[in-house]
Amino acid sequence: MTFLGLVARNLARHRSRSALTLLGISLGITTVVALGVITAGLEETANAMTRAGGADFMVAQEGSADLSFSRVPEETIADIAAQPGVASARGIFLHIVKVGSNPFFMLMGETPADLAIQAPDLASGRLLRPGAPNEIVLGSKAASDLGVGVGEDVEIAEGRFRVVGIFSGGGTWERAGGYAPLARVQDLARSEGAVTIVYVNLEPGADPVDTARAIETAIPDVVVVTGSGDYAQVDQGFTFLDAANRAISFLAVLIGGIGVTNTMVMSIFERTREIGVLRAVGWSGPRVVRVIITESVLLCILAAAVGSGLGVLAAIGVTRVPAVAGFLVPAYPIDIFVRAVIVALVVGLVGATYPAVRAARLTPMDALRYE
Amino acid sequence: MSESPIVTPGPGEVMVAFRGVTKTFEEGRLRALDAVDLEIAAGEFVAIMGPSGCGKSTLLNLIAALDRPDEGACVVAGHDLTRHRDLNHYRARDVGLVFQLDNLLPSLSALENVEVPMVGQGRGRRARQARAAELLDFVGMGARAHVRPPQLSGGERQRVAIARALANDPPLVLADEPTGRLDSASSGRVMDLLQSLQRERGTTLVVVSHDPKVAARAGRIVHLLDGRVVDAA
Repeated sequence: MTFLGLVARNLARHRSRSALTLLGISLGITTVVALGVITAGLEETANAMTRAGGADFMVAQEGSADLSFSRVPEETIADIAAQPGVASARGIFLHIVKVGSNPFFMLMGETPADLAIQAPDLASGRLLRPGAPNEIVLGSKAASDLGVGVGEDVEIAEGRFRVVGIFSGGGTWERAGGYAPLARVQDLARSEGAVTIVYVNLEPGADPVDTARAIETAIPDVVVVTGSGDYAQVDQGFTFLDAANRAISFLAVLIGGIGVTNTMVMSIFERTREIGVLRAVGWSGPRVVRVIITESVLLCILAAAVGSGLGVLAAIGVTRVPAVAGFLVPAYPIDIFVRAVIVALVVGLVGATYPAVRAARLTPMDALRYE
Repeated sequence: MSESPIVTPGPGEVMVAFRGVTKTFEEGRLRALDAVDLEIAAGEFVAIMGPSGCGKSTLLNLIAALDRPDEGACVVAGHDLTRHRDLNHYRARDVGLVFQLDNLLPSLSALENVEVPMVGQGRGRRARQARAAELLDFVGMGARAHVRPPQLSGGERQRVAIARALANDPPLVLADEPTGRLDSASSGRVMDLLQSLQRERGTTLVVVSHDPKVAARAGRIVHLLDGRVVDAA
């Protein structure tokens, strides 16, 4: 008999109860992992968006509730380009519309000249030409979803476009959208004279931090976004998502902790006489407490493994829903799984605290007299 | 006092001594033991008898250090248990307990149950298993070593409990109604085993029983009545 063997036997005595508890904690861990994977995927999308087309960073309207609501006057693009260290500045209008089964089709308005500067990798066809307002270069995923090819027409946001090219590079959100002339997209969005974001490329050797500070100082009401960490300044959704993630993790710990406490308390009540026997044959209180805590933690570590697997499957399932497939690819940074294990350990320790304290306070005689 | 295992006194010397021991329950309303003075010699087989509620089990529990007296001293091999700091060590090494209900752990096999008191006492897993197997052979349960208690008969479980009590080779074995729930054949076998311990190993044996047949095997009978020793001849 080993210490862990005794612990495993105790858990196996009430298989159904242990399994249900494990399932309950697993579902909490599943939520933590699935949300983590989705959030990490969104952060990767945000990072990719920040540096789309090889940009060093992007500039948007300060305090936007959502990036798509950002409005930067077109004349500001020239002001940004004039800042020291800036090699080029390209204005893009992002118009999110429902196209086919994709409710988040990213219609990207850009001048043909700017698009040519940082051209996406063309799989077929060509880029936009000046003076052709009804042309569109579709991403490969959008073309596939819509079932259209070069030379065919497509209906997007109450506008009819002729597909002149299909590109295959860039992020998922880009490939699920398309580039059309800036003025046409502004017209469709009824936002003449403004862009959503300005992509900035720096001169060789220019310091991104100094340049970003210079832009924010010189130009009012804009903010520089260099990565997902700055995203909350232009998209409150990230703040809400992060808060929801933390709140759900807390709830998972709380609900899981209550479930484990319930299981362990029932188990300890049922085994009170056995605890008395262990104490009577010389087991110390701390040794008995170690058995209880190890049982609880082992149950929760198993739940972390099961919950992590279920969480990954849930996240994959979510990202296969057409509504989100266009902008979200699941990401699996190790810290999500470390967090899952930490949550499980906390649940295990919290859940074992009361029954362990109760067991520690029992004298051998009290335990042996227990009916 | 030293926390090392007690040193077994020589034959005839005092193993257990109660000096004015009083133990009450229910906030003093129930006096289980009332100023008890009693001595048990090393290697002796003593039967404690008396009607239900006279304090027999309480006396045994105090010797086993499962409980503490309200007044007086319970001294084992010269050590006052009320002042002993490491009672876990005492319970594991110096005293073997056989309960009326065998109190085996149902999720463990017979062999593993015998191992339990040896855990944390400095023996490796293999040594524990070898010792447990040896003890199960001694009590005639070698062939049933890997069977769990629910699959054993009452007599078999009690023999496993005796093997568990002997796990750390204690100089003092206490048995509380060890045959209380056994048929006469099983009772005889269990008592033969306990008696052989006392005769062959010189173990001090204290048995609480209602059964005159059990008492007849003892070298001395202590009669209790209302928490007092009325006859310890």
